[in-house]
Amino acid sequence: MIGFVVFSLRRAWQGFWRNALMSLAATATMVLMLMLLAGFWILQTGLQASLDFTESKVEVVADLKDNVKTFEVNPIIAELQAMPEVREVDFISEDDALVLWRQRLAQQGEEDLTRYLDANPLHASLNVKLVQADAYAAVVSELRSTKWNGVIDQVKEQQALATNLVTVTNVLRTAGTVILVVIAFIVLFIIVNTIRLAVVARAEEIEIMRLVGASDAFIRWPFVFEGAMVGMLGAALTLLLLYFASDPIGNFMVGFFQVLPLSFGSLAQELIVLIGAAGLGLGVLGSWVSVRTYLIR
Amino acid sequence: MTFSPSQIAPARSVRSRLLGRSRDHAATDRAVLVLHDVTKVYPNGKTALEEVDLVIPEGDFVFLVGPSGAGKSTLIKLLIRDELATHGAVVLDGQDLARLPRRQVAKVRRKIGIVFQDFKLLPQKSVWENVAFALEVTGTPRKKIRPAVDRVLALVGLTAQRAQMPNQLSGGEQQRTAIARALVHDPRLIIADEPTGNLDPLISWEIIQLLLRINDLGVTVLMATHNADVVTALRKRVVALEEGRVIRDEVGGIYHRVD
Repeated sequence: MIGFVVFSLRRAWQGFWRNALMSLAATATMVLMLMLLAGFWILQTGLQASLDFTESKVEVVADLKDNVKTFEVNPIIAELQAMPEVREVDFISEDDALVLWRQRLAQQGEEDLTRYLDANPLHASLNVKLVQADAYAAVVSELRSTKWNGVIDQVKEQQALATNLVTVTNVLRTAGTVILVVIAFIVLFIIVNTIRLAVVARAEEIEIMRLVGASDAFIRWPFVFEGAMVGMLGAALTLLLLYFASDPIGNFMVGFFQVLPLSFGSLAQELIVLIGAAGLGLGVLGSWVSVRTYLIR
Repeated sequence: MTFSPSQIAPARSVRSRLLGRSRDHAATDRAVLVLHDVTKVYPNGKTALEEVDLVIPEGDFVFLVGPSGAGKSTLIKLLIRDELATHGAVVLDGQDLARLPRRQVAKVRRKIGIVFQDFKLLPQKSVWENVAFALEVTGTPRKKIRPAVDRVLALVGLTAQRAQMPNQLSGGEQQRTAIARALVHDPRLIIADEPTGNLDPLISWEIIQLLLRINDLGVTVLMATHNADVVTALRKRVVALEEGRVIRDEVGGIYHRVD
């Protein structure tokens, strides 16, 4: 058994170098395809992160009645915070609201007209941030329930906006996943076919092995190991290229998606696993199916 | 290469000594190969062989002749179980190839040594490596490979060229390398498919002499050929195929039918 493995590994090594041109062509294809896969994976991750970020901006705003006391508001806040769909509840007092309003006017360069007012016309409000935008309706109906009638004046109607946003993000999520799957299939077929070419180039060697009475395992495993070598070498080169490109990619991600909560470290780990597994798996799969044609029928 | 009669010792002992194994050949007249009522129809509907009956006893030397397309190649494919007979039985050394489990096929192929017109040597391997290759890929332990390869190279007279690459050899030397590779498993039957097709007449005779010598050592030889001179001169058993049928099977035959 050990002898068989040693034999197969030695033959794989010889096979790789004795057909160096073909092996390097297969490795180059492997690198290009894995880069393509990695590129779309990065885009997809960025897209998902930015969609999550966008959805997290959706909030339910409920205006409170005038002169509501803090002890009346606290039970509502407690109850909202107990809901799993709710990420955060902010209480904005009337004074806070006025400060925010003035800040916004100042940012836009408008004249501050509020100083002509003798009283603060704004309402205190509750801003409820959601874990997921599709929980919007549940939170609105909670705030509209009759038990809060004495406290809550009105819940601002943004249902249509939230629904549209959820629709758009879902479409983008699905589209991103579909494109990634399609790319993965293209990569699969191109790599398998490249390895098939490398195997076909050695059809005569396989033919001789068959004629002198080599068993299937002795024919198959050297090629499978060789495919694994091409896969691992391709994956290593791809990761090396990505490593050198990681700074520009990181900057691009932040610039393009405007996503701050995306950490490149976890993405790098995912990429190493993805590229390594894809390279090894595709190399082995490619040689397995290519050699099968030549085995005993 | 020439051989004097004194070189040809009693077949069994020399074969055992040269090929490194002793076998009990109690049944000397036992058939190495039996084809019974064999018909082969390819999936495209073409009938390549029809009701072929053939018995080759151990130690026989048989010429297989016939025009192109007569079914010679199909017959050889059936013998190495590259194809299965549509009908009838192909029995090699007592084993029915049609009933052979898939995993046994490789082992049975080691009972056959096959030689081709185009040699089929690996260009990146030396003479010695090409012969050793046949043992390596069948899982032979390394320490057994060296003596076995050295023996067959001595038998075909290529000990001096052992380190050369195939493109440094003459056609005759390449074919002798291929014969050495076919012999290294100590096969029951050597199948030579047009072994002299690419060689000039003088070298062809050398190859024939070598095959005859191997036959004298006790190995059964089946040689498909178009070489009428050789067949007619040697007066061995001749099996003639035409349109998939055996039209003639006679000992001491010549290439063309005498009408």
